[in-house]
Amino acid sequence: MNEEQTCIGGTVCNEKLPANLIFAEGQDLTHKNKEALWEIFEAIGTNWSNAIYDSNNQRSSWYEMLKAKTENAPNYTGEYVNAIYVVNELKAMYGVGGAYEKLFFESGVNNDEPPITRLAHCKIFVVNEFIRMQITAGGFKSWGTKYGGEEAKNYHGFLGGTRYNRISRVRAYDPNNTNLKNESDEK
Amino acid sequence: MKNNFDFVIVGGGVAAATIAKGLLEHRHDTSILILEAGPEIIAKDRRFWWDYITRGERPYTFTYDQKFEADSTGNIDYQTDGVRVKAYGGSTMHWGAWSLRFRPEDFNLFTNTGEGADWPIDYEDLEPYYNDAEAFLSVCGDDDANWVPRSKPYPVPPFEWTAADGQMIEAWEQLDVVYQDGDIDPGKKSKIKSGKMPIARYRKCMTTGTCKYCPIGGRFNAQYVLDDLKNDPRFVNFEVRVNSPVHKVNASSKSKIESVTYTDNLTGKENEVYGNTVILASGAYNVPKLLRASKNEFWKDGIGNDTDLVGRYVVSHSMLNVVGKAKSNPNGWFQEYDFPTLMSHSYNTKEHQKKGKIFMFKNRTTPNVDIAQLMIDGKTREEIDEIVYGEMTINIQAFLEEKGKHSNRLEARQGTDRFGLPQTTVHFSRTQEEMKNANDRLRLLEQIIEKMGLEVTSSRVDKPGGHHTTGTARMGTSSENSVTDKFMRVHDTDNLYVCSNAALPTGSAVNPTLTLTAMAFRLVNHLIENNEH
Repeated sequence: MNEEQTCIGGTVCNEKLPANLIFAEGQDLTHKNKEALWEIFEAIGTNWSNAIYDSNNQRSSWYEMLKAKTENAPNYTGEYVNAIYVVNELKAMYGVGGAYEKLFFESGVNNDEPPITRLAHCKIFVVNEFIRMQITAGGFKSWGTKYGGEEAKNYHGFLGGTRYNRISRVRAYDPNNTNLKNESDEK
Repeated sequence: MKNNFDFVIVGGGVAAATIAKGLLEHRHDTSILILEAGPEIIAKDRRFWWDYITRGERPYTFTYDQKFEADSTGNIDYQTDGVRVKAYGGSTMHWGAWSLRFRPEDFNLFTNTGEGADWPIDYEDLEPYYNDAEAFLSVCGDDDANWVPRSKPYPVPPFEWTAADGQMIEAWEQLDVVYQDGDIDPGKKSKIKSGKMPIARYRKCMTTGTCKYCPIGGRFNAQYVLDDLKNDPRFVNFEVRVNSPVHKVNASSKSKIESVTYTDNLTGKENEVYGNTVILASGAYNVPKLLRASKNEFWKDGIGNDTDLVGRYVVSHSMLNVVGKAKSNPNGWFQEYDFPTLMSHSYNTKEHQKKGKIFMFKNRTTPNVDIAQLMIDGKTREEIDEIVYGEMTINIQAFLEEKGKHSNRLEARQGTDRFGLPQTTVHFSRTQEEMKNANDRLRLLEQIIEKMGLEVTSSRVDKPGGHHTTGTARMGTSSENSVTDKFMRVHDTDNLYVCSNAALPTGSAVNPTLTLTAMAFRLVNHLIENNEH
């Protein structure tokens, strides 16, 4: 259970909550809220070294998602505000860098269980969804090149490039570069 | 509320959209009513799309048949749950949009093999309508491919093979087409040829990889067509009623159909609407159930069922599935589209028809690493790198053609589903010979995986299911061998048509939607030529 596995944070993080989305119909995020949430998003790129320009190239996509999630039912505003409270407590306890390391790598939250603490709500409804959005919007591109390969061009959910099919939007087949060729070269 | 129409169409998917568009463009004031059992679920909605991206949720999945709404009997489980969208737009809400023509031999299956059925028309009869269907669905295909005769080029160029396709392309080049016991007319040996998958995508496709819920309308969805028709001021007599399951087709004589009865699910009220022509376009599941439920003084066992053939000859595809594993993936490849780009018809030929043709393709999701999930699970960058560049899984799949058998039947069972339609039971068995043939074909796929230098980690024949069900109100030359005639009109009726996969006598080894759409174009032409319009 999340309750038993939660091992970070203090009274805020471990406060009990029902597992369903925090009710927030009719509520809005303030500018300050959005800035605090952006810090969480930015920290994802920093901790996994998969962002460029401090993630600013993804800001418009991220903001569009935030808008879609807070201006349509069910409204995520309550979850987002809760995440800010959780992160504030973690920062107070572990410092800014330590807070995100704890949240991303050592939260103790079971992602497959219903979230029943404020920390678990933050992880499942906010952090996990921000991660998916971050990878989708371009974070995936930092994979492919480690051993001299081509940078990945496309990923589940990535919107980019041209509207015309003649220009490849994926790493395209090159007869001179397949795993079979690579293996025979090694031999 | 208006209750008299020139045409009443049951079902709101691609067949209905094609027919309505064709008839309305021919004569703008034609009155058409489409009755759709399911609800309307908005397409291209940004919130829905973000929920799909971030939570994996799709807004139409609640309309899928649930296990408690459909079952099967026989020596193999027939999958109905999770395969049909019951909503405005039909299954084009979720389809992969693979758009392949049947081949000439598919229209002569019985003549060529002594099994299954012949169509009452030939490939040449349908070929011009395939062109129309490809233009309508905006199929991206390879003009250089010559798998089937075609008189017009594809409307949109193909998607290129991905880097991750390369290894399989090379394996195919090294393998001969292998003829096995049971194949007919083997001919000369040749290498397996690689092809580019024809896919129904408009030019505006941005390849987000989220084709199951496209945020921009890049993938064809019948809902877009129906929306356009509803919003077109020329078509003042066009109407769609959703949440309206049809329970019965009513006849005023043996040959004359006069109306259908449906329930308005929002009010619970039963309504009867009259049509000069009634077209059943509600799929291979609902059409036979509706025909058999339509008993009256002229049709004691249901309309079109005097010879007890309605719902019989269920045809499906079995999916052959072989997974291989490479020790490493130095290029960090993953399948960057959400659809396959590599396919081959080399075993989808007349020579392989007796034993069962297969249509091969590289699985749409492999190789793949869900990087976001690894991050969610708390893996560090170094740990993720190890996985991304580590073992690589590649999956080859094939649809295996099956042949209609009298004993395989789809019918209604007691009770209704959540949308007021009858629940389903499918009686489906395979013979020992079919099982053996499927396993033999599986060996071919294993050879390909091995030729790629991969270790086979899984090899199986998946259960058949409702994805591509055809044949349940099949066309033929008389009521002794079929339910519908060559124009998909129910035998011995003047004005009742079936425009559905139910009417296709064979299922080939490829997806049926393009063929159904071509048949819908052909039906429109027939209706116009015969002044039923």
